Amino acid sequence: MGKPKFYDFCVHAVPDGDSTAQELVSLARHFGYSGIALANHSDKLPDRKPVLPQVEGFEVFRGIELVEENPSKLHSLIGKFRSSMDVLIVHGGSEAVNRAALENPRVDILNHPAFDRSSGLNQVLAKAAAENGVAIGITLRPLLHSRGTRRIRLLSDLKANLDLARKYDVSLVLCSDAVSCFDLRSPMEMLALAEICGLEEDEALEAISKVPEKIIARNRPGPGYVREGIEVLEGEDLV
Amino acid sequence: MKRLLPSLRAKKRYLAFELISEEPAGRGDIVKEVISSASSLLGDVTTSDCDIKVLGFEAGKGIIQCSHTRVKETRAAMAALTRINGKRATLHVLGASGTVKRATEKFLQDYTVFEPEVQEKKDSRQVPGKVN
Repeated sequence: MGKPKFYDFCVHAVPDGDSTAQELVSLARHFGYSGIALANHSDKLPDRKPVLPQVEGFEVFRGIELVEENPSKLHSLIGKFRSSMDVLIVHGGSEAVNRAALENPRVDILNHPAFDRSSGLNQVLAKAAAENGVAIGITLRPLLHSRGTRRIRLLSDLKANLDLARKYDVSLVLCSDAVSCFDLRSPMEMLALAEICGLEEDEALEAISKVPEKIIARNRPGPGYVREGIEVLEGEDLV
Repeated sequence: MKRLLPSLRAKKRYLAFELISEEPAGRGDIVKEVISSASSLLGDVTTSDCDIKVLGFEAGKGIIQCSHTRVKETRAAMAALTRINGKRATLHVLGASGTVKRATEKFLQDYTVFEPEVQEKKDSRQVPGKVN
């Protein structure tokens, strides 16, 4: 087993955030990430298709974070963007949206599920998430930028979701949700923060390396891919 | 007062770090912000266990001392730092070591602090002063 590869799957570049994709990519690379997904909010997309920076030894994934209050419109947005995106994130925040996102197997990650007085998940939604393979995103930016009462709320929501995720075997994704390069943190620091916030060491490691890899493997099938569970293997793959 | 025996002294780790910020900052600012971020994130009790001290800081890089059992907490507290003097900043831990000498040799010598503009010959669309 080699060194784990780290990915940050929710980074917002211009015009959604302050920094350009180029800046974010070079800093993430400097921090030791193997790849990031540029996932702008769907209501703040650039006018034309952004050109992803090409850097050797570093992957930049196409992503999107869908913001939509209406569940049926959300489903149609998912259908519209699914084929062109490597990572599809839904910005949660109400019971209807969370439910719609977790019950749609084409969604990869649900971010910010918390609303009002709820952590955003319950046993029904957690089961749906596990069945449909939707990961719950743990975003660091709100945790970093708040203090006192607000951070305490965020942490207790996080712990409630963590308990449910452990019980129903829901995967977690650790991401920075950065809107500028000053919100990015290096993988080691992300892991340390996650552990302080209640994750176990192996859970945190999985959330920042293995789960993102799985999401990419699912959305970028290999050349011999026929359909789910069926793949044409050739040559050395057969062994 | 008689100095503690070496075997009785608390064991420490030294974290080499670099500062990535909008504006340059001094050692005093970093001390203040790291301690305040630690006490907010971990609470005063755990922070006192961490034994955080900023040993030296110049030219954007420096060394922070912490208890050898509390490296994780210290890293988290450093990561939770978002602003220095109201300007956006982050501390990037380059590595941890058991002695100041080794930390300096291994991580700080010949290390140039990250500057995005230098690495990439970039377009002029960039807002000036965004990244130092």
